[in-house]
Amino acid sequence: MDESAADELLLTQLHSALDGLDPVPESVVDAARSAYAWRTIDAELAALSYDSLLDDEELAGVRSAGSAARMLTFESADLTVEVAVERGRVMGQLVPAQVGTVELRHPGGSTTEQADEVGRFSFDGVPRGPFSLRCTTADAATIVTDWIVL
Amino acid sequence: MTAMGDQEVTELVHAAAAGDAGAWNALVARFSGLVWSIARQHRLSDADAGDVCQATWLRLVESLGALREPEAVGGWLATTARRECLRVIKHAGRQVPTDIGAEIDIADDTTRTDPARFLIAGERQSAMRTAFAALGEACRTLLTMLINDPPISYAEISATLDMPIGSIGPTRARCLDRLRKSPALAGITA
Repeated sequence: MDESAADELLLTQLHSALDGLDPVPESVVDAARSAYAWRTIDAELAALSYDSLLDDEELAGVRSAGSAARMLTFESADLTVEVAVERGRVMGQLVPAQVGTVELRHPGGSTTEQADEVGRFSFDGVPRGPFSLRCTTADAATIVTDWIVL
Repeated sequence: MTAMGDQEVTELVHAAAAGDAGAWNALVARFSGLVWSIARQHRLSDADAGDVCQATWLRLVESLGALREPEAVGGWLATTARRECLRVIKHAGRQVPTDIGAEIDIADDTTRTDPARFLIAGERQSAMRTAFAALGEACRTLLTMLINDPPISYAEISATLDMPIGSIGPTRARCLDRLRKSPALAGITA
């Protein structure tokens, strides 16, 4: 057996050893398919620009002691959304400060709250898993934030 | 079964961005194994791995129209999933595996926690999994992509792993050689 044929055989054996050991659960594939339902065509993406979990090692250390909320910043051209996340609670502020409608979207559905005159909003009882915010204001285009796992 | 070319992947991304749900499902069929395997390589639980996969695909939904290199969407998914894994691990205050040694017993763990699987799995396959788990992360990722079903093109692998196409063949040979010489496989493979 030449070398490349031996390599092919070994790769095939590896495939069969790993195949079926840890198949992608059907529910995971279903969730990936249904993610498409969240496609938005009329909103600008506000990208995650800061995450205290990854961008601030010291703070992350403090967080693991259970004393600080996770801080997130999402930025688009016209609107920044500052968010603090703590145990099923999502609190945030639109910057520049302004009233608006904020929809918290998660795979199970969505809830809507109003941002007050200083741009503050809050959601309680947010289920674990991914969520994203959709913010509509009078001054800026509608934006959706990157999805984040709560 | 033929390897899907870059052209096809690019078309799927463009079609999905334009509203074609079938193209989206084709992307999911093609890359869900890759995304899942990355979550699993970070030793996440089923629930956490599921969250990472879902978040990764949701992010792709929002980014479809903005991908700078649609042909490298596999790499984009891999990078996004990896970052999401790190977030989940940090969020849970767990340790990030930092060395290969800490990951060596993955296959053993899997078989131990699932007696039915252990009984069904032949000794040879078990040894193969142990040997595979002992490889470095770079080799495991490359070999996982090489045995992906449906197949992943060298161009995509190159984009995903940030490795020149010309290096894939030699690296593949080197990784397989390491696998072959693994103590776990001693006397089992020819």
